[in-house]
Amino acid sequence: MSRRRISQTLTAGDGHVRCGGCDHALAPVNGPWKQAAALSERTVASLPGAGLGTDPTVMLRQFCCPACGALLDTETALPGDPFLDDVVVVRDGTP
Amino acid sequence: MDPITFSIIRHRLFRVVEEAVITLKHVSGSAITNEGHDLMVSLYRADGSLLMGGVGFLHHLTSASEACKAIIRRFEGDIEEGDIFLLNDPYTAALHTSDIYLVSPIHHEGRLIAWSACFVHVFDIGAMNPGGFAPDAQDIFTEGFSSPGIKVVSRGRLRQDVWDTILNMVRGPEMVALDLRSMIACNNVARERMLALVQKYGVETVDEACRLLIEQSERRLRERLTELPDGRWQSRQYLEAKGETYRVVLTMTKEADRLIFDFTGSSPQSPYSVNCTKWASLGGLFAPLFPLLCYDIVWNEGVIKPITMIAPEGSIVNCTRPAPVSVATVGAIQSVNNAACATIGKLLAASERYAEEATSVWHANHFAIFMFGRNQRGGLSIGILTETFAGAGGARTFADGVDVGGEIPNPISRMANVETIEATFPIRYLFRRRLVDSGGPGLYRGGTGMELAIVPHDAPDGGLHYVISGKGAKFPQSDGLGGGLPGAPNDYVWVHTPAEGADAGRFALALDAMPGEKQPVAWGVYPLMGKDGLYVRWNGGGGIGDPLAREPAAVAKDVVTGAVSTEAAAAVYGVELAGTAVDVAGTERRRTAARRWRLGREAAE
Repeated sequence: MSRRRISQTLTAGDGHVRCGGCDHALAPVNGPWKQAAALSERTVASLPGAGLGTDPTVMLRQFCCPACGALLDTETALPGDPFLDDVVVVRDGTP
Repeated sequence: MDPITFSIIRHRLFRVVEEAVITLKHVSGSAITNEGHDLMVSLYRADGSLLMGGVGFLHHLTSASEACKAIIRRFEGDIEEGDIFLLNDPYTAALHTSDIYLVSPIHHEGRLIAWSACFVHVFDIGAMNPGGFAPDAQDIFTEGFSSPGIKVVSRGRLRQDVWDTILNMVRGPEMVALDLRSMIACNNVARERMLALVQKYGVETVDEACRLLIEQSERRLRERLTELPDGRWQSRQYLEAKGETYRVVLTMTKEADRLIFDFTGSSPQSPYSVNCTKWASLGGLFAPLFPLLCYDIVWNEGVIKPITMIAPEGSIVNCTRPAPVSVATVGAIQSVNNAACATIGKLLAASERYAEEATSVWHANHFAIFMFGRNQRGGLSIGILTETFAGAGGARTFADGVDVGGEIPNPISRMANVETIEATFPIRYLFRRRLVDSGGPGLYRGGTGMELAIVPHDAPDGGLHYVISGKGAKFPQSDGLGGGLPGAPNDYVWVHTPAEGADAGRFALALDAMPGEKQPVAWGVYPLMGKDGLYVRWNGGGGIGDPLAREPAAVAKDVVTGAVSTEAAAAVYGVELAGTAVDVAGTERRRTAARRWRLGREAAE
């Protein structure tokens, strides 16, 4: 069961992008994985540290492991903007 | 070439640049140069290609290379020993008009063998707003004089007519003259030391070492890229100007030993001066690339060769003349810096070998606040609040970011002492300190930014005014990495108190304690007169990893040291405190509930 690091929180192994914490298989490698994550959103303006001028519509997207709830990635986004798409090329499914 | 001679020449080239930087700082009388280190010095080959990139703002390394090449093209047959050329046109090579390049050919026995180039942000450039940043500009023609290349020194003699013409177009000509003279001195030292090197080792040996140095850098970067995983990473930066929102969108693709930075999808160019030209974007992506991927590789032309940039013409990252660009360095260029830092950070974090070199985005938002007016001695003062250079470190994969740790594009950035600014301007600081909850939360927290407040003091005209080009208030831009959250956004607040009202807090120690109307400002010219105050806070670095995985004791320590509030400890990190101690059971309950909320199984986090 070999796993290869592909980000701070994700690994790749057995042909899948996986949660680095619980090894849950999220999506096939070499493609988008965020659609398979649990997405929770909150406004940046609601976070501690927000300023007087913080845009009330800009969201913090939190992509979490649907199995263990670990936070795998974040991005700030205005409504309607697509997910950022990060793909690490994994050949032969495993390292 | 024997490796010892090669190594000695390489180190001597480093020292040439270093001594030239010291000269620049010592001769300059401007806080932005000798306190803020808004400067750059580098050496270039005879054809203008980058030979030895120096420190300072790194996005100038490639732009000054293009400046040398532009001078070579424009002055073909008229480049002589002892000449010095000035160039500051952004559509030729520069970043914005107020960052002036002086480039000097270095001849040996009549043969052009190299160039030295430097820049400083001059005291003034004659733009419609004092100080060079012109948020009200509608085109390049209102952003001060811009030259695609002019000879200011001919065969070692100053061209007085050119000199007088330049100084006739700027405010504070005596200070601009000092800026220019500091750059002339800098280039003179670089030339003398370079010629001393040639005299000792011979021109052919030095030339061969330079050629090998570039080959070595290219080979080493290509080897490093080959070691890193192939893939595609994206970043998106929002920036605002005068109520409009713009996007800098980057897709970075790494294939074998090449990197491609594609800005397709970025916003069309703006009518406001946040745009940047293609040379500025190229420099903007190299500014984080040099220190993050080439921390042990000499920054020269060899590093540039494996890199490709795609920047659509007519976009905010490759605007067309005569679009205004004077705010570029705190506008689109810095967004390019941030986007490149984010994608390079993701690339490094994907590698077992290089994960420890990864970082989230550092100080993402400069704020150009140029104060101007009559000072306490009756003279004219124009200058920037150098706190804009006091950025915050992004978190790393093994440690927190450094509080007020600087910024990636300028490894030697720093801010002036409070006393320096108070001696230069008729103002007084109420406070300047780290900003709570500004570092992006994460397993490893981003470094904190800062906050400050100033009021008029001992001002013959009752105060002064300031030009502000302040992005970063609406959107956080210090992106987190791998689950880390972004650093907090900036704020710029004009505390406006009528003359008959209470004083704007002569000794207030917080924004809330400053009486008066608090009006957020970001772009334009505003007063700091009478009982007014100006409050500024700026972003921390991005975090890395899940905040719920951060060691609770580290969160408690952050609360004690003022980096994190009790509210954030609970709401973001899921840490319950009993006094200054961790409530272990309460923390476990809160973190479990937070994870359930993420999965839609809990009403509120």
